[in-house]
Amino acid sequence: MDVQIRNLTKTFGSLRANDAISLSFAAGNIHGILGENGAGKSTLMKLLAGFLQRDSGEVLLDGQPASLHNPAASLAAGVGMVHQDPMDVPAFSALENFFCASPRSALPSLAVARQRLTQLNQQFGFTVAPDQPLARLTVGQRQQLEIMRLLACGVKVLILDEPTTGITAAQKTALFAALRRLTAQGETVLFVSHKLDEVADLCQTVSILRSGRVVGAQLPMPQPQAELLKLMFGQAGAPAPPRQAAAPPAPASAVPVWQLHQITVREGALSVPNLTLSLPRGCVVGLCGLDGSGQQLLLRLLAGRLHPERGRLLLHGTDVTRAPYRAFRAAGVEYLPADRMHDGVIGAMTLTEHLLLTSEQHGLIINRADARTQAETAIAAYNIKATPDTPLVSLSGGNQQRAMLALLSAECTGLLFDQPTRSLDVVSARAIWQRLLHRRAAGTTIVFASADFDELLAYSDLLLVFFAGRVSRLLPCPTMTAARLAELIGGVGFAEVAAHGG
Amino acid sequence: MADKPTTEAVPEALPAPAALRALALPAAHLLTSAGIIIGGTLLFTTLVLLASGTSPLEAYRLILSGAFRNPRTIADLIMLTAPLLLCSAGLTLTFSAGLYNLGIEGQIVIGAVLAMVPLRLLPDLPPPMLWLLALSAGAIGGMLWALLVGVLRLSTNVNEIFAGLGLNFIAIGITLYLVFGPWKRPGVASMSGTEPLPEALWLPTLAGIRLAPLAPIIALIGMGVVWFALTRTHWGLEIRAAGLNLAAAERLGVPAHARLFQSLAGCGALAGLAGALQILAVYHALIPNISSGIGFLALLVVLLVRSNPVWVLPVAILFASFSIGSIQLPLQLGIDSSIAGVLQGTLVLFALIAQGVRGRG
Amino acid sequence: MQQTMFLRAQLLVMLLLLGSILLSACGGSAPEAPAAPEAPAADTSTEPFVFGMVLVGPINDGGWSQAHYEGALYAEERLPDSKFIYIDKVNPADKPNVQVEQVVDELVDQGAKLIITNSDDFKDGTREAAKAHPDVIFIHASGDDVLTGLAPANLGNLMGKMEYGKMIAGCAAALATESGRISYLGPLINDETRRLVNSAFLGARHCWTELRGNDPAELSFEVTWIGFWFNIPGVTLDPTQVANDFINSGTDVIISGIDTTEALIEANKATQAGTPIFAVPYDFEGACAQAEEVCLGVPYFHWGPSYLETITAAERGTWEPSWQWLDPDWDDINNKDTSAIGFIKGAGLSDEIGAQLDEFIAGLADGSISLFTGPLNFQDGTVFLAEGEVATDEQIWYMPQLLEGITGRSE
Repeated sequence: MDVQIRNLTKTFGSLRANDAISLSFAAGNIHGILGENGAGKSTLMKLLAGFLQRDSGEVLLDGQPASLHNPAASLAAGVGMVHQDPMDVPAFSALENFFCASPRSALPSLAVARQRLTQLNQQFGFTVAPDQPLARLTVGQRQQLEIMRLLACGVKVLILDEPTTGITAAQKTALFAALRRLTAQGETVLFVSHKLDEVADLCQTVSILRSGRVVGAQLPMPQPQAELLKLMFGQAGAPAPPRQAAAPPAPASAVPVWQLHQITVREGALSVPNLTLSLPRGCVVGLCGLDGSGQQLLLRLLAGRLHPERGRLLLHGTDVTRAPYRAFRAAGVEYLPADRMHDGVIGAMTLTEHLLLTSEQHGLIINRADARTQAETAIAAYNIKATPDTPLVSLSGGNQQRAMLALLSAECTGLLFDQPTRSLDVVSARAIWQRLLHRRAAGTTIVFASADFDELLAYSDLLLVFFAGRVSRLLPCPTMTAARLAELIGGVGFAEVAAHGG
Repeated sequence: MADKPTTEAVPEALPAPAALRALALPAAHLLTSAGIIIGGTLLFTTLVLLASGTSPLEAYRLILSGAFRNPRTIADLIMLTAPLLLCSAGLTLTFSAGLYNLGIEGQIVIGAVLAMVPLRLLPDLPPPMLWLLALSAGAIGGMLWALLVGVLRLSTNVNEIFAGLGLNFIAIGITLYLVFGPWKRPGVASMSGTEPLPEALWLPTLAGIRLAPLAPIIALIGMGVVWFALTRTHWGLEIRAAGLNLAAAERLGVPAHARLFQSLAGCGALAGLAGALQILAVYHALIPNISSGIGFLALLVVLLVRSNPVWVLPVAILFASFSIGSIQLPLQLGIDSSIAGVLQGTLVLFALIAQGVRGRG
Repeated sequence: MQQTMFLRAQLLVMLLLLGSILLSACGGSAPEAPAAPEAPAADTSTEPFVFGMVLVGPINDGGWSQAHYEGALYAEERLPDSKFIYIDKVNPADKPNVQVEQVVDELVDQGAKLIITNSDDFKDGTREAAKAHPDVIFIHASGDDVLTGLAPANLGNLMGKMEYGKMIAGCAAALATESGRISYLGPLINDETRRLVNSAFLGARHCWTELRGNDPAELSFEVTWIGFWFNIPGVTLDPTQVANDFINSGTDVIISGIDTTEALIEANKATQAGTPIFAVPYDFEGACAQAEEVCLGVPYFHWGPSYLETITAAERGTWEPSWQWLDPDWDDINNKDTSAIGFIKGAGLSDEIGAQLDEFIAGLADGSISLFTGPLNFQDGTVFLAEGEVATDEQIWYMPQLLEGITGRSE
């Protein structure tokens, strides 16, 4: 199905998220949509999928004007979208989700749905077991399920918004193969990403948005990477990431920030047994492994948000095995979760209010003027695009992340960061790491989990690899390559690096 | 938005007058909302009134003016507004903490029951001291009852709505037991409640009208304290943070669960105070329906004002005036006075609709 | 997300609240024009004498409040220059935050010179209102402030001698029972209800022994109090359940002391199912209509004549505060113009038993049967009346216990 977009405009208050966008996507191709965070990619896709209503302009499908006033209408017209966070019912099984979110004309009965699901699974090499409760599926499997559901509904234009975030390498391979097969069948795929290599790998054309406008329309791939970066980021461009300076050597006598003695930590079915390690001051520790291999358990253990089943945990040499989260905070440990809006910041509150909440010395009465001044300072220092009185929920992802960093106490000695740059563009990500490396230089130990090898290799001093409920010893980063890391995550040669021989 | 020409790596297309427009928008929204609320409410209640064969204009006139007819009705209005205000202030606290304290009725009731204890045990103390004791006992009773909700919610994860509703039943059960059991009148157990207190123990009223000035004074102080706490103190800010996002507030170092507890305790104390006033200033006895639904009415008030403390007072007065004004309806127009309840409920419903409309736009 | 959830929860709560408000609004009766249509008396130069009434229940409750309402209409009809106004459903469930005093204020504002309040619950409120309006006459029906000396000079009490109605009910039950087990479905416990249970018991025992010639020891008379005048789920016992417990324990006649008709309904169900059970409802002339076949009859109130008398006296300025406890008209207890209480026989009463009942009523009328006569003991064995002693009105009004021979709680 050909898609033509003519002068599409969408504003939010004073923000022109999409400004007279005109693009056209030919059937049977994978079209990349590139742009930094906040460029308007997601808005455009949501307009197509009926989750948002356009202010003006029109969309033609195979030359016919299409009415896309809600998701069902878009679906009926043949346009379906796989969201960054799959929208599904966690309490239902995969099959039930597949069935109940589809129109009856597509899947008349549960039996038909089961048959169709099995068939699609086979066709694309997907691994969704029909009766598995949704909560037990990985992010990648939920995405596969959603793609299959849309196909079962007869979608001719498939939109994927940052589909490779949070899925494994194998799932990514399967996804890309499936997308290629779909276009071979005549489907149109719109692939939204900010990852240049993926777009280069997959797409026949690429279109680039910046600040709500089209700055590059249907450019045939391949394109020089530098050219694309320039279009995405304007004159600021994106110079190659600087190789970080080596970690300042910590004095041997210094007390490590964290010491773990034979710790076992468990949550639900997932456990990390018998962990003994010591994390020195002033270093960056990267945690890698397949999604959900226990990295988050360790982060939350170190933050005091999850207590170990067995073993002892020392923080700056003090036993904190059973201490509450607040004791960890008081000792300078901070935890930055992956999902900012869920448990990172309070979306409806402003930066000023957050600064009031986190200020350590305060009396009974709040001093708003003082906090406002602090907020203005933080905004300038961290280059946050907001006023002191903007609710954080209305900031873009990168700005929210910077705001979280701005809220860190100056006395922070241990920082636990889950996915520091997930779904951030290159420039934002680099700015975040600049801040983090400053912290490291001041003696803070940073432990972070990431799925991005480049990030892990570029910024870590030490690496911990998680595989099948086991954890490697601390591996010095300079000796590591992406290829080796990929092997380890997949379990190849893991025994050699496993802590005390297994 | 930031008009600082600082080191913005990426220019964002934000026109200059954005700040001005940002100011203008809420005013426009406010007008739309007010239109929806008032228009919708009038339409709905007019239909109800027409369906019952009454002149809507006449009914509205009576409801709106009925409470302001003479000093006596104004006194009644104030005496109803006082406990309503206390409960609304309390609920503003719990709403800010993201809690639905539907147990407020029970908290009023237990406040009233505990206020009776010093009045029954120590009737010979000087009245001012007894009043102080009764009010304190009421506040403590309401607070303890509210904390039960908190314990159920935080320790066993029972939703505070169900915990509160359950405790309401228990509180009413306790009252009925006392009124028909240990505290009954000599030889007679009656729905009209316990033996009335000696007149010396009633909160003093102005001559000729049923207005005990102490009641509105206490209510206004309670209201003021809540407003100050929520808008000017760290404690209030932390309560709001816990209410908006418990997990994030905890992460940011706010003792969020403690704040939930404290907001419930504060609300319970204010509700208990209202219960004590019902005893000392209104009914002068413990009656089975001592709360008179004031807690639920306060829920409507707070739903309408969206826990914005500034609006609590006028809306509480408005709601109380509906209740007082509507007494005339059966007498003058032959329609049931519960139309006041319809009016109150419809107002809140349309306020929520308006909010929903605004949320979409 | 958090906010959306919050909003949804809010909507849900709101709908629940609104629903309950609407229900309470629609559930009630839609009263007719409150001021009964006055004849074209607009030309008369004299102001009409306005009298008001505060009713605890709805005017069409088929019971206590309707009897009062019809009594007031009766008086208004017969006093051409009078005007009747009222406010009904003055109770905490229907009108929370509205007290008797406030309602009285409204009635006085409308010109009421005499105000009748019709619930025991209004005792304190009526007294306070009377003090606040010394120039208005107050009649508290069922109260005793005049007896206790608490009443101000403008407050009187009025009540019918339902004791006789209950004695007749008890007699009918004793004449109809096969098993000798009679049960009384009691409301809450107070002087009035103890008095009525005792009266029913005395009537039953008399007819069981004197008319049927049975051994008094073989008569079982049991009372269960539900806790209020009608069922409040979760607060009172469920009268349906209590009635069934009675039936299952072998009772074959249930006397109801509550405002609603569960006893009659359950008796009917049991009878349909093959176990013949009779019932005696209460308060309202038409109560038997719900199950004629199993209804032995109903004792009821006639307020009209006494209201007419009181209002006439007030109009003429000859009213004096008093505590009035009115006898039935023994010539014809069902005479609407003269009798304060009555008893209408039900279809369940056989002709033979009906005749015996008439005999009993005649005995009450001519004084040959005087049931509150000693020897009578209380439940705990203490003496209420010595041999040959006849109880005074006050002794009957304030009975501290149930009588010996009744099973059930005295307080």
